[in-house]
This record gives sequence, structure tokens and C-alpha cells, in this order.
Amino acid sequence: MENTLQIQEKIKQFILKTSYISADQVNNHTLLFQEGIMDSMGFISIIDFIEDNFSITTTSNDLLESNFESINAIANFVSLKISVSENCFT
Amino acid sequence: MKQESKNSFSKDILNIENIQLEAERISGKLKNDILGVLKRKGAVIGISGGIDSSVTLALAVRALGAEKILGIMLPEKDSSLESKEFALKLADKFKIKTIDENITDALIGIGCYRRRDEAVSSVFPEYNPYDFKMKIGINQSGLNQFLPPVFSLTIIDKKGISKSKILPIREYLQIVAASNFKQRFRMSMLYYHSERMHYAMIGTPNKHEVEQGFFVKNGDGGADIMPIAHLYKSQVYQLAEYLGVPQEIIKRTPTSDTYSAEQSQEEFFFQMPYQEMDLMWYGLENKIPPDEVGKLLAKTTEEIDMIYNNLRRKQKTTEYLRMAPIKY
Repeated sequence: MENTLQIQEKIKQFILKTSYISADQVNNHTLLFQEGIMDSMGFISIIDFIEDNFSITTTSNDLLESNFESINAIANFVSLKISVSENCFT
Repeated sequence: MKQESKNSFSKDILNIENIQLEAERISGKLKNDILGVLKRKGAVIGISGGIDSSVTLALAVRALGAEKILGIMLPEKDSSLESKEFALKLADKFKIKTIDENITDALIGIGCYRRRDEAVSSVFPEYNPYDFKMKIGINQSGLNQFLPPVFSLTIIDKKGISKSKILPIREYLQIVAASNFKQRFRMSMLYYHSERMHYAMIGTPNKHEVEQGFFVKNGDGGADIMPIAHLYKSQVYQLAEYLGVPQEIIKRTPTSDTYSAEQSQEEFFFQMPYQEMDLMWYGLENKIPPDEVGKLLAKTTEEIDMIYNNLRRKQKTTEYLRMAPIKY
């Protein structure tokens, strides 16, 4: 299983690739939506990306600012989802 | 529409004070624009049995007379039967001629339903259009957060059991693109009739639809003239009462009437009742401080801040829809 730092890096690379911003414009705590880095299409793309790359499922109840406001928040959300799913199978 | 200056932000701030004068102003301008500017001898309007097209039609009749107005009903297989029934009542009330153009066969030919259902099936493999109804809608939780809206797909079986999932981007875009054939084909048909009659084509969107991007580019957003594009929804209702639009239409919940499952415009796009939306939008446009809007609508300043932020985002992300082609 990837650790949170590796997840953060993957998400950061995805955001850099899809938002056309430079690496110095975003850090793990940047508020992605509040600061206009990502728009609504970007949000759906992030959900697709984490579902495809980390084999998790996002539900409407997960669509909270605390889960998606920054790279850090997304990585923590993904880590939590992965650990819940692993616990279900052990 | 230019608002009269009022001392304080209140629930009646959007009331049109002299409704007769406003109806006369719009219909006078409409007459001048159709006959004098567009140089057309009448007008074609798509009538859906909804409040916006009904008020537009009533204003057009007032401007040009019933004999110079042609109402076109454009149902397809997912349309509510109520839509046609109400459109006919409207036509009867204002004594206009109508043409019923069912566009289902054209939409089948162009692959509208097939392309849409293919995307729905890739999210819900059990879906088929015979046993299920479907709709897409915006998540309601996004409104009170600094998060953009996300669309969910819902399918409903014949027993009324529904399932919803967040729409992946590819399927979301395909469903929207396929469904937009409906509005674009309606626009083509309306122009067919307007050209054949040498009439103008009157569009029916209100202020929210235009400014928040709740329309299809080159679909229902395509017209020669849009006489209620400056009106808040509550002002459209106020005019409807004054102009004598049938009460069934005034009392009907505004729907998207695009997907096979029933769906209100609030559920599909606006995320709040129109009365609240009107005041929010007025507050945003007129720079009313969030705490003042919050007091009136029983919300916190933070909630209004977030709603303002969401409305600004909607306006920004839909700029593309309102842009004319970039010409070199």
C-alpha cells in the first residue's frame, strides 16, 4: 500500500498536469477550489483520478470540503478510504 | 431590468412597482425590435407549458397581436404529457395558432437516446430505457462549501426504487452532449418555421438561466431576441399574473423536462428555491453585504459568502456559453 506522502505526490502531479499551473503555485495546503486552481471539471477529474488510481469509490456523502479542499485533504481522504477497504477484507 | 433604488434590502426589493408600465415597455420594445430592427413580420416561439415561454408568448401577443405569433410545441418521448396540455391551454387563452412538432424520430435518427443510454449503461450496467427512468442532478451539499458542484446520475426502476452514483467525467460529458441534441434540434425546427414565415424567433430564457448558464449553447440559447432575459424569476411570475397566464402554468413547478425521470430545475441546477435565488443573485450583483442578506434569509454570513462564491463560480465557468464566436 502506498503511504500518504506517495499519494500526495501522485495527486499533486495529476493536478499540475491538468490545471496548467507551475509547481511553485501549489503546495499540499493550497486551497484548490477557493483559490481557483481547480474548477468544476477539475473536481470531477480529481474524483475520477483517485477512484481509478487507488481503487476507491466516492459517494455523495464524501463530497465535503474537508476531504477535497487541498492535496493534503485529498491524500488523507484516499488513505482513509484505502484503510477502511482493507479492513473490510481482513 | 433596472431596479428602482430602495433604501434597504428586503424581500420585496424585486417587486415590479408599476407592472402595467413594465409590460408595456417590454412589448413596445419587442414590437420595435421585431418589425423595425430585425425587419420580420411576426414571431415564432417554442412553447413548453412552462412559465418563461408562457410569459414571453403573452408579451409577444401584446406586442404584435395574436395573428402574428406562431407557437410551436416540440415534445419528444421523454417530455411530460403535462407540457403539451399546458402549452395548448396557453395557446387557447391567447388565441394563437400552434404547430405540434414531435422531434422524437429526429432524435432517434441522430442517436440522441442511444448515445445517452450508452453512457448511462456504463455507470449502471443493469440500465435499459424500457425498465428504468433516468435523470442527472447537482449535489446539494456543494452549495454551502467552497467546492464546485458535482453531478450524480439516478436511475429509477418500475417499482420506484432508485440508485444514484456520482457521474465520472466521460459519462457526464456524454450524457450532457447527447441530451443537448434536444435543445439544438428544437432550435433548428423553430428557425425552420421562423424562416418559412419570415418571422423572428423569440427566445425565452430568464435572467438566471442566461447569467448562470442554464441553457444550451446554440440550442435554447439561440434566438433573435430574448425579451425576459433581464427578469428575475419572481418578476416573471409577477408578469405572468398580470398578463393572465393560466393558473395551472403559474402553479407548476419549473422542471428541466429533459430526462425520462421527473426533475425540478432546483434539483437539476439551481440548488435553492427561486425566491431565495432571486434575492441571492440581487445581493451579489448589487454588492449587498453577506450579513445583510443572511439576516433576511435566516442564514449565517459564512453561508452567504459560500453561496456568493458558488454563484460567481457558476457565472465564470459558463462564460463560454455566452461568448460569441471568436472572430479573426
